Amino acid sequence: MKYRVALKNLAKAVLVLFLVTFSISILVRWLPGDPIEILMPFATEEGRAALRAELGLDINVVQYYFSWLFDLLRGDFGVWYASTGDGGGVPVRSMLAVALPRSLLIMLYTMVVSIVFAVPLGIFLAYRAETRTDKTISNVLFAVSSIPSFAIGLALAFVVGVQLDLLPVIGYVPFAENPSEHFRSLVMPVVSLSIGLIATFSRLLRVDMIATLREDFVTMASSKGLSNMWILWRHVLRPSSSTLMTSAALQMGALIGGAVVIESVFALNGFGMLLTTAIATRQYLAIQSLVALIAIAYIVFNLIVDVLYAVVDPRVRGGRG
Amino acid sequence: MCCTPSLTHESEVGVAKGRPGPLGFYLASGWLLVCVFTAFFGDFFPLPKWDEYDYDNLGLPLFSDGHLLGTDYDGSDVLSGLVHGARTSLGISFTAVFIGSVIGGLLGIVAAYRRGWVDSVVTMYFNVSLAIPTIVLTLVMVALFATPNVDDPSSGWPRELVLIISLTLVIIPILGRLARGSALSWSGRDFVLVAESIGMKKRSILRTHIIPNVLPSMMSVAFLAAGVVIVIEGGLAILGVGANPGASWGSMLAKNRGELAITPHTTLVPAGVIGLTVMALNYFGDYFRLRIDDRESRI
Repeated sequence: MKYRVALKNLAKAVLVLFLVTFSISILVRWLPGDPIEILMPFATEEGRAALRAELGLDINVVQYYFSWLFDLLRGDFGVWYASTGDGGGVPVRSMLAVALPRSLLIMLYTMVVSIVFAVPLGIFLAYRAETRTDKTISNVLFAVSSIPSFAIGLALAFVVGVQLDLLPVIGYVPFAENPSEHFRSLVMPVVSLSIGLIATFSRLLRVDMIATLREDFVTMASSKGLSNMWILWRHVLRPSSSTLMTSAALQMGALIGGAVVIESVFALNGFGMLLTTAIATRQYLAIQSLVALIAIAYIVFNLIVDVLYAVVDPRVRGGRG
Repeated sequence: MCCTPSLTHESEVGVAKGRPGPLGFYLASGWLLVCVFTAFFGDFFPLPKWDEYDYDNLGLPLFSDGHLLGTDYDGSDVLSGLVHGARTSLGISFTAVFIGSVIGGLLGIVAAYRRGWVDSVVTMYFNVSLAIPTIVLTLVMVALFATPNVDDPSSGWPRELVLIISLTLVIIPILGRLARGSALSWSGRDFVLVAESIGMKKRSILRTHIIPNVLPSMMSVAFLAAGVVIVIEGGLAILGVGANPGASWGSMLAKNRGELAITPHTTLVPAGVIGLTVMALNYFGDYFRLRIDDRESRI
């Protein structure tokens, strides 16, 4: 029975993925302007004909979609046409090889930092629920959770980067090149993205923890004489973390968007910059592949969280969820 | 032991939510009132024009003579920029959210009411739109509507219109899914069953029982959505596809962000205004949500 639900979810996700990628190819076709004129104004007639074939302008959108899809599945993300306009270019894949790791690292660091700070904070607030400390901190967190990450980023860049001159304001250093500079270059971007998430996550965890604390098994554990810390971390945290996980999955979308903007603020030249440049310079194939990649990542991530649910909270496995 | 809090809380009041105090609510209303008032009557303020360049006063600091919040690198007055920006930013945000919630709400409620294939199609549309992060979707939409001729960026529809259309399309699925969920949960309530069993027409049940109950929860999310839209608009401006330079809060900070080391206030003040406004909208939305929760617990 459970596997049927899982399969149904999987089928739904695949259908959504298909529709998303198909709509993107229609949207990209609708992008204004003649792609041939924009991408290679100086190309020869043969070059133009070749590009026309490559962009699928000579076949209908359904045929084009499937040829693009099979290319994508084979790891061919299309060509990034050079600005010289003579039809030359580099594979989008090689540009992704540079940009994608940067963005993935930023998001990974952000998620780790957010969870590491949010969980103890949430537990602390639940433990002190209704006290003055809890009320003050909760109100501050509510306010903080609504500040956009780019505002935090710009303020940090000015105070920490310009005035105190502690951290580099722009640029990215790969880990392999210089690990300490790598972390230094990412501190401000990661902090600006994390602050809002920490506030959101700890507030959610606090609410769920307080609800779990009312359950009988907590009274039971408490009357067995287990220490408060042990009960909070070992008994209450796990069954209280499902909302946190859903939210983490939902926030991935916001995080991808936030990362796109923050990358631009700190000139990190990651995935977001690649996408923005692709749209600005009408890189038809690149736009399609990049947006599809984001959608795939987002949907797969949500599927994984669905599975993790059952692992984390035994009550869901029992069918109560 | 006196100071070790007990792990079990018996009291129900206010435990579950980090409620914003009434003070926060009044501050939020005050700020929003100021913003809305400025958006409407900004033209009558004794300020320099927002797009007039005062070349004798480039990059003035805060609290200068004649320019209360200083000027930016090409001599535009920051305060009048903010006043004009209130109209653009709030105008774009409120229009997009209003149209988006009307269309989304209708779609969601109709889907929940008709069920069957209509519901499947609408839900699928919502899910497909929501599978792409909002800012990425808006970016594509803006590119789609903005410039028919790439060589001439000023061609095509005005930027503000393009932003409103794109953001509306982004808001529709968010509020639509909410309306559908809410309509579904209300249609399972006892009083709806009673209405059905006494033979009330489905259409009038919808009008008298479902829609009035769905609207308040949509209202509270609409405030949050308005905040989200302001943030997206700021983000788009930073990415270079926002409103015209200096015309909205977002494009003010985007325009001046290269001068962060020299005239920091020209970037940080608009950023702060965006932050405050979004915060105020969130307080407002949360306040509405609490009111609705209280109301629903009485029904």
